[in-house]
Amino acid sequence: MFGAVLIANRGEIAVRIVRALREMKIRSIAVFSDADRGALHVRLADEAEHIGPAASAESYLRVDRILEAAKKHGAQAIHPGYGFLSENAGFAAACADAGIVFIGPSAESIQRLGSKTAARILAKQAGAPVVPGSEDPATNVEQARKLALEIGYPVLLKAAAGGGGKGVRRVNEERELESAIRDAASEAERAFHNSEIYLEKFIEKPRHIEIQIAGDHYGNLVHLGERECSLQRRYQKIVEECPSPFVARHQEMRTAMGEAALKVARAAAYDNLGTVEFLADSQGNFYFLEVNTRLQVEHPVTELVTGYDLVQLQLRIAAGEALPFTQKDVRWRGWAMECRVCAEDPDQQFLPSPGTIAQLREPSGPGVRLDSGVYPGWTVPLEYDALLAKLVTWGPDRNTAIQRLRRALAEYSITGIQTNISFFLDILDDPEFLAGDISTAFIPDFLARRKPPTKPAPGLDLAVALAALTHFQKARESATIASNADAGRWLSEGRGRLLR
Amino acid sequence: MKWQIAVDGRTIDVDSGQLDAVTQVEPGVYSVLLDGASYEIRVNESSEGLSVETCGRRFTVEVRDPRDTSRGARTSIGSGRQKIAAPMPGKVVRVLVSVGDSVDVGQGLVVVEAMKMQNEMKASRPGRVVEVRAMAGGTVGAGDTLVVLE
Repeated sequence: MFGAVLIANRGEIAVRIVRALREMKIRSIAVFSDADRGALHVRLADEAEHIGPAASAESYLRVDRILEAAKKHGAQAIHPGYGFLSENAGFAAACADAGIVFIGPSAESIQRLGSKTAARILAKQAGAPVVPGSEDPATNVEQARKLALEIGYPVLLKAAAGGGGKGVRRVNEERELESAIRDAASEAERAFHNSEIYLEKFIEKPRHIEIQIAGDHYGNLVHLGERECSLQRRYQKIVEECPSPFVARHQEMRTAMGEAALKVARAAAYDNLGTVEFLADSQGNFYFLEVNTRLQVEHPVTELVTGYDLVQLQLRIAAGEALPFTQKDVRWRGWAMECRVCAEDPDQQFLPSPGTIAQLREPSGPGVRLDSGVYPGWTVPLEYDALLAKLVTWGPDRNTAIQRLRRALAEYSITGIQTNISFFLDILDDPEFLAGDISTAFIPDFLARRKPPTKPAPGLDLAVALAALTHFQKARESATIASNADAGRWLSEGRGRLLR
Repeated sequence: MKWQIAVDGRTIDVDSGQLDAVTQVEPGVYSVLLDGASYEIRVNESSEGLSVETCGRRFTVEVRDPRDTSRGARTSIGSGRQKIAAPMPGKVVRVLVSVGDSVDVGQGLVVVEAMKMQNEMKASRPGRVVEVRAMAGGTVGAGDTLVVLE
């Protein structure tokens, strides 16, 4: 096993990897940009190295600086997390050239699966069902127009190098195509330095169900079951669960999808962890979507249900160990559900809400797991993703997992910035959600039918008024003390604001 | 002493004696026990007054000091001009209009990006662009004026 591993990432996933390393007594090396000097992953890691300015292109995406840091700290391997360089075949190859193990599949496998168009062709050849769509990226608007007509509207535009919903647009009719392509291409260019866009048929109200796979260097490949990630906003997953409520009702689907996923993996000579994503329609037909050649954000739900530590599994595979179990050993026990807690304002069209966290109370108790990257006093930078933490609960069945999630969300409090915690509480009360009646159209539909908040009870209003008055008086006392010390100009200004 | 406190615009009358119900448990965090019910309430200063969070809800609260008699007339609103402000800190990706342009309701004016999300600021009513303060590539703070419409 490795003696030291560098984590080429930030936020909650860097913290998650530090934890896996510490449990295995492996030295953890964090990297950080100017904006992340005080970040939680830097505080928790054994060692840390500064790699550049806040902009990711000048820090977390800088292959040269990350390799330099790895050499300086004696790292034998690099864990890329998700996002940033995790699906960059050039980075995997550069690690290999530098004699450092890239914790993930080979550069060749990433290459074969990283481009969605290439992955589609490979999946089709391997015998996995695919969504009707273009085999090659559209190079110009004219060509895209022709392709869209062939496939038939509505079509979906997707960045060839993409992930995380960046560079994705739904196009309902021809007149929307040109501006959608321009937006998708520029978003893809910024996110991935690759503006290639491809088109596919848009499937009405599909479910997003994905299969976790794991393979070692010796050709052993297994699947760890599915996750349902149908709750998405702007193609970004926000609630994920394992098992899928749909698969739970149609048990044969797990085997069928698992086999399809393994066919794709075998065709790509895949090793380490990966996720094969599918769209499923209401009849139970499923179509290959893409492969994420990395650890998935929502990996904890699989961990809670299968009992495997997926990050540690990645490390063992990368270090040359054989898979410690076979397909028939894999068991699924109970139900897990995850919410992605983000710095965004659900009352203002989910606008990003960077800023300083004033107070923080984190949930705990039975069945609760919190993978967080923040702490009180931390300023959430505006340069990166809005994901603050993943709140995950486990229960023997779906209802218990939901009850625990609702309870944990009620305990969870983050102030100073806006978060989507209250939005999750609303979702978890929705009858359609509770019935497992979900699809990728769920969130837009839910937003349209969501009821406005009820008027608070008079007792709550009075309690709020009393707490506010107490706070106001305390602020004024300290302002008086400060101004007596002749340092109170800004405080009296602040007081003036409060008195408005 | 009597106080008037506006909670989301609703006026609540409070007597100083009622403050016995409140205990500060952490900086900015208050435990309130009222008629046997227990509330945990978080208070922060914000640009609009006090921002209060409890039970997963947010309230904007204004404390009116009974001794403060200087509150004059509020600045009048509605001069016919409309300022389109950045709702959050971020970078200006594209400016879609220039001075003199006529705009329709819902027309995109400026695209601002923060935390890898692009948001198009749109006109909420028809008008003419009289000023463009946003510059592509520039950084803006929350509340900064991007475009002025008339």
